[in-house]
Amino acid sequence: MTVHNIRHGDASDGAEAVGGRLSRVDGPAKITGAAKYAVEQQLEGLAYAVLVESTIASGKVRAIDTNAAEAAPGVLQVLTPDTIISLRTAADWFGTPPPDKPYCPLARDISFSGQHVAAVVAETFEQAVAAAALVKVSYDETPSIVDLSDAKAGDGIPIDAMTKEWGDAQGAFASAPVRICAAYNTPREYQAPMEPHGLIARWEGDQLTVWEPSQWLDGMARTYAEWFGVPFENVRLVSPYIGGGFGSKALALSHGAVAACAAKMLGRPVRLVMTRPQTFTGYGGRAATRQTVTIGADRQGKIQSIVHRGVNETSMDGMWVEPLGSVTSIMYATPNFSSRQNVVRVNSVMPGAMRAPGENPSAFGIESAIDELAYEVGIDPLEIRLRNYAEQDPHAKKAWSTRQLREAFATGAERFGWARRTSEPRSMRDGNQLIGWGVAAGTYPVRRAYGEAIVRILADGSVEVESSSIDMGQGTYTILAQTAAETVGVRADDVVVKLGDSRFPRAGVTGGSRLAGVMTGAVYKAATSALDQLVGLAISDPRSPFHALQANTLVVANGRIGSPRGDGPDVSIAELLKSVGRDHIEATGDTMPANSTPEDRYKNYTTIAMALPHTEGDYSRHSWCAHFIEVRVDEDFGTVRVSRVVSALDSGRLYNPKLAESQWKGGIIMGIGQALLEEGIVDRRHGRIVNNNLADYLVPTNADIPDIEVISVGIPDLHSSVLGGKGVGELAIVGVAPAIANAVFHATGKRVRDLPITLEKLI
Amino acid sequence: MTKIPVYLDINGHHHELQLEPRVTLLDALRDRLGLTGTKKGCDHGQCGACTVHVDGERVLACLTLAAQAQGRTVTTIEGLAREGEMHPVQAAFLEQDAFQCGYCTPGQIMSAVACIREGHAGSDEEIREYMAGNLCRCGAYPHIVAAVRQAAQEVAS
Repeated sequence: MTVHNIRHGDASDGAEAVGGRLSRVDGPAKITGAAKYAVEQQLEGLAYAVLVESTIASGKVRAIDTNAAEAAPGVLQVLTPDTIISLRTAADWFGTPPPDKPYCPLARDISFSGQHVAAVVAETFEQAVAAAALVKVSYDETPSIVDLSDAKAGDGIPIDAMTKEWGDAQGAFASAPVRICAAYNTPREYQAPMEPHGLIARWEGDQLTVWEPSQWLDGMARTYAEWFGVPFENVRLVSPYIGGGFGSKALALSHGAVAACAAKMLGRPVRLVMTRPQTFTGYGGRAATRQTVTIGADRQGKIQSIVHRGVNETSMDGMWVEPLGSVTSIMYATPNFSSRQNVVRVNSVMPGAMRAPGENPSAFGIESAIDELAYEVGIDPLEIRLRNYAEQDPHAKKAWSTRQLREAFATGAERFGWARRTSEPRSMRDGNQLIGWGVAAGTYPVRRAYGEAIVRILADGSVEVESSSIDMGQGTYTILAQTAAETVGVRADDVVVKLGDSRFPRAGVTGGSRLAGVMTGAVYKAATSALDQLVGLAISDPRSPFHALQANTLVVANGRIGSPRGDGPDVSIAELLKSVGRDHIEATGDTMPANSTPEDRYKNYTTIAMALPHTEGDYSRHSWCAHFIEVRVDEDFGTVRVSRVVSALDSGRLYNPKLAESQWKGGIIMGIGQALLEEGIVDRRHGRIVNNNLADYLVPTNADIPDIEVISVGIPDLHSSVLGGKGVGELAIVGVAPAIANAVFHATGKRVRDLPITLEKLI
Repeated sequence: MTKIPVYLDINGHHHELQLEPRVTLLDALRDRLGLTGTKKGCDHGQCGACTVHVDGERVLACLTLAAQAQGRTVTTIEGLAREGEMHPVQAAFLEQDAFQCGYCTPGQIMSAVACIREGHAGSDEEIREYMAGNLCRCGAYPHIVAAVRQAAQEVAS
């Protein structure tokens, strides 16, 4: 057994060690245009595919006339449900065995507007676009249910798994001296990553390579393998950089199947990229939601009961559940609680994951309602949150692993100047601008899984890390370089991190804010094992300059090996490896339980079935935050501008605060969009998304965003991850919309319970 | 559609292409010349990811036909660094962490260089307004403002 000390990486400012503010190591490639995103690979013989989509929301395709398209210049192939090769149905992301029936990625039966019905493949992109416009589709249309407000939508299907109840919530509410009850709605929202979805597919024999932006290489590779009936190992997913995902790029989707079919049928690599409008129906955004929150309290604002009912929309043929009681059930202490949820089928693409699915709309309900309660009983909105502070998880009845929410409230309030707030609505103004200050809390569970990585120490003393995990801007390249650098004892500059290739050691989904915690743990283990080997060789190999030293420990720092006492030789890693005749050292590390079978491992990396519950064991694990937001509302025009944000956040230990702060601010900014701008507008005649582009689906621009101050109040949480971090990426959006709605109420006296808060709701 | 010869001057290099007249400058750069640093986010002039300079002014490459750029000087993100030395705006973007996924970044940087050159980087308010045509869904805006402010000061001094 080798014992060694690990000194922290070198740089005098500490930036290179875990927890340091190292700049993005993938930054230079991104700012010079050198970073090649998935569909930017230049391949010989590339053909271009363009999708044709349904223009009705419900019915059947009667006929597809492809004659004109097939005769158009450059056209290689027109795919329809009749001509595309048949695939097998793949398992879902839980790995549930699929029905034994064929899967066709082009639809005959239409259940939403924008469904893929045909595709044209041509020699050039321009030829494919022109020919796709010549495909004529006729339909037998049937009545559709356009959205939740459609009279035909009904009450939906109860989802018993979402029911959370304790005490006698209805009885306690009925007898409570103070009662509030209100309905809160959120519209369809879209991830809208700047890089549209798309891929290049290439077959070589029965080997498929897919270059595709992906939040989950191994899960998507499994899906492609199952569709085409080839072994998992035959599919290679490559995704070196991802131009934003926000939940939308975790699954292999029908457009990917179309491109892979086209490539197989043509015997050529095929590129298919969705147009921006297609990205609004080619996959699901956040489901529209409806919630009713009722709170019974005493006159001091102490909650006695919460009764919560939620509804989200799903598609006709898929089941998406947006867990609306997730924050409602844990944010505040209450002796009586009831939450239930239905889902309603509408003619829409199946909704999907968008930054903090569940927690985000859930927090809009409860964090608005608690503000309403504060005004009802005449207590400061910050004080009422402290008065109902949950000292343990009220639902799981377990201790929090860490919950720095009280610290977040205190720190945020201090920095924001909350004490200067006058409580009366419309009591603060600047000329014709009404000023409002609002507060809301947010939370996101710590989702955990297992990961795997290889760490190599190379002949030149540099270190290489490989993992099939990905970096879509969260900073994976950087924090894994920091982890390997600190653990082995080299400079971060001397670490090369390779990600985004399913041939590398496996990783589960990059979603649920779990990647950093999972992969720093795996790299730490692999790097520790590589260091053990290095020091072991140095001590025991007869050719090593340290052999005569009879040391039982050596120190590796800044890429050099020496005795901890400073006596004896001091050599570089490269010199040591040369002296012992090794060209590299390699170690694989994973965080799987020791007795895991190969089947367990496959299941862990290609499904989400092995994710560990956040309430596993003795603790309930969550990230926490408090947002303090100032709005200015034009009294005459009702325009709302966010003018100041201070957020205090508990994500546990930060592996790189510079990058975590960026992600937090990004979440807050997406939350500002959700609160004030973002809404998918449905055409009630045809069930289409009317504003399916970036000029009409409004996302925040630079001019919409003020300075934002984020403050870390986290402490290391070793119940949550190997190195003490909790989730970062999704946390910060949670609570922003209610903080803004609460600020708007404070400014105007108007309570807007329908997002987004647009001017017609205020005048 | 008949192809026509198109002569393009990009980052100081001359290219002769045979293109259909309907080919955009963006697709010519990305698909014909392998200059993929210029990004396609919407193809409709809504997002700014494809911003390049034509004769020194910022232009949306997706709304410009390649043939329109003939006889003009085109600069893309790949041509911004000089002799391996990063442009002050690039350096400031890295230092300020003014990007996450990096997909809007080349367009942001090309806009920022022009924004400073136009004299529209005098205050944070002005930077926000004149950088508002470049969307960033990761939400790097406050850091983009900081980077443009920093680079503007460096360029001025």
